[in-house]
Amino acid sequence: MKNKNRVGRSYWSNIWRKFKRNKLAILGLIFVFVLVFLGIFAPWLAPYPYDEVHYEAVWTPPCKEFLAGTDQLGRAIFSRLLYSLRNAIIVGFGAQAFIVFIGLAVGLIAGFYGGRTDNILMRIVDIVYSFPSYLLNIILVLVLGRGYFSIFVAIAATGWAGMARLVRGQTLSVKSREFVEAARASGASNGRIMFRYILPNTIGPIIYAIFSGIPGVMLVESGLSLIGLGVRPPMPSWGLMISEGTGQFLYNPYMLLAPAGMLVLTILSFNFVAFGLRDAISARE
Amino acid sequence: MASYIIKRIGWIIFNLLILSLITFILIKNVPGSFLELQILIGQAGTTATGLTIAEAEKVKGVETEMMKRWGETVPLWKQYLTFIKGLVTLDMGPSFRWPTQTIEEIIAKTFPVSFTIAILAVTIAVFIGIPLGVLAALKQNSWIDYLVSALVMIVSAIPNYVMAVFVIFLFSFWIPILPTYGWGQPKNYILPVLAMSFGPIGSIAGYMRTSLLDTLKQDYIRTAWAKGGTERHVIFGHAMKNSLIPLVTILGPMISQLILGTVFVESMFGVPGMGQYFSQAAGSRDYPLMMAQTVIFGLILMIMNLIVDIIYFFLDPRIRLSGKES
Repeated sequence: MKNKNRVGRSYWSNIWRKFKRNKLAILGLIFVFVLVFLGIFAPWLAPYPYDEVHYEAVWTPPCKEFLAGTDQLGRAIFSRLLYSLRNAIIVGFGAQAFIVFIGLAVGLIAGFYGGRTDNILMRIVDIVYSFPSYLLNIILVLVLGRGYFSIFVAIAATGWAGMARLVRGQTLSVKSREFVEAARASGASNGRIMFRYILPNTIGPIIYAIFSGIPGVMLVESGLSLIGLGVRPPMPSWGLMISEGTGQFLYNPYMLLAPAGMLVLTILSFNFVAFGLRDAISARE
Repeated sequence: MASYIIKRIGWIIFNLLILSLITFILIKNVPGSFLELQILIGQAGTTATGLTIAEAEKVKGVETEMMKRWGETVPLWKQYLTFIKGLVTLDMGPSFRWPTQTIEEIIAKTFPVSFTIAILAVTIAVFIGIPLGVLAALKQNSWIDYLVSALVMIVSAIPNYVMAVFVIFLFSFWIPILPTYGWGQPKNYILPVLAMSFGPIGSIAGYMRTSLLDTLKQDYIRTAWAKGGTERHVIFGHAMKNSLIPLVTILGPMISQLILGTVFVESMFGVPGMGQYFSQAAGSRDYPLMMAQTVIFGLILMIMNLIVDIIYFFLDPRIRLSGKES
């Protein structure tokens, strides 16, 4: 009778049950959904185009017409915030996708095959790990130009090493379990074992790493655009808006507070979800 | 131990070679050159090198020196060898952007500034962060714990360039006691250090809390309680010592990150540090300086990691260092 309750309680429903109990994590998740929604539909939600100048309304404080005021060119800050959010989300998820792809491939292969393959791959990981990533990001953006794709590549080129280490560790801990042996005995190919047996059992910590990595990527993008190396203007980005607002802080504080507030809110929401995931995943036993 | 360190130093040299090669190849592929920029600036009405006549007199030999090293007629492999040789012999030639100074002079001048700021910021963070983390862990699930945890999360989400603006507002306009700009006096250090220490305070407090909570659950702590140890004895004698160990691992990377990851804070406060020079070098396509800074920063990062591992060894006797990393 006791066991009846446990039927149907899969890995994910267990995590979700733990996750649900964490109010902050749920709050963060709701915010993440709202932010992603706002980002995706920014072109339809923005009251003005992000680059439309209103010369008659330069430096207007927040009012009914301009919800978050206007900047030095009379562009609506609210619209620019929405587009910055869109950029941050595109870069956050895009660069993270690159990181996950490379990290999974290298980590799985190194952990699964072991031996010399493992040694060589992990040596490469160690080398990349010891690089000054921020400087290489700057140089890579200089080389590749300032588009989404080059920012993805620039961030992922230095960011994949940590993910590869994590995946390798997880793979090693799962590799010697009985069900992998059983799969091998029943004649499954290496590829099938890796993707059907090992990967699903290592996914928890990886999901956490993915989620906790996204805010970091967003901060890197904002830092790059702060020194003029993010997405190409007039396309706005939080970093660019913050640097514009910094000089105006005493006269038009909303120009700094709006982008900084949005940036912090977004990072916090993702962090809350990540913390909730960490607790739910590590406490599942 | 000695053989371990020698092995690690060998790997550091190998890693640096690869880093220098990658950096060199990347930088040689950056579109736009310093010369082009100078021509553009020259058309805008200043002298071609952006120098006054007196300065130009002083650096007469510089141009030939640059051409000898990085001129278009010099084959690439030779340029790379010049670059490596310069790094090893500390003779890296003049910078493009600041032709009156050699690269080794610039680095010798900027590194101590950035290093001092980073060390000060981390020191402040250690002295504030550790007590906060300990307090939160000892009073787990009390309002103090929630307050500290909330602080940790909020602080970790605010980038230091935003913090810098708030710090300026607070101490230069609201309570006008500190200068926002200028360099040379000790008080010029206060604001940048403050702005940079918030993030580390958050992460140190967070780590300390988790680490101490973990340690308090260990069997030997229960034993210490059972043997009748006082709170002071158990917590500060047994638990604290062991929970500080994981903290050491994040301090090294934290310091090296602060040395260069603060480009914007440095330019905001006019701090003549490595970060500011790097972003200006990137902006004016000063390739020799960028290459040298990247490799030297890589060296700092790797040495920090090595120091952390060695300290770790002395703190935790369970760790056996093999010749391999990780």
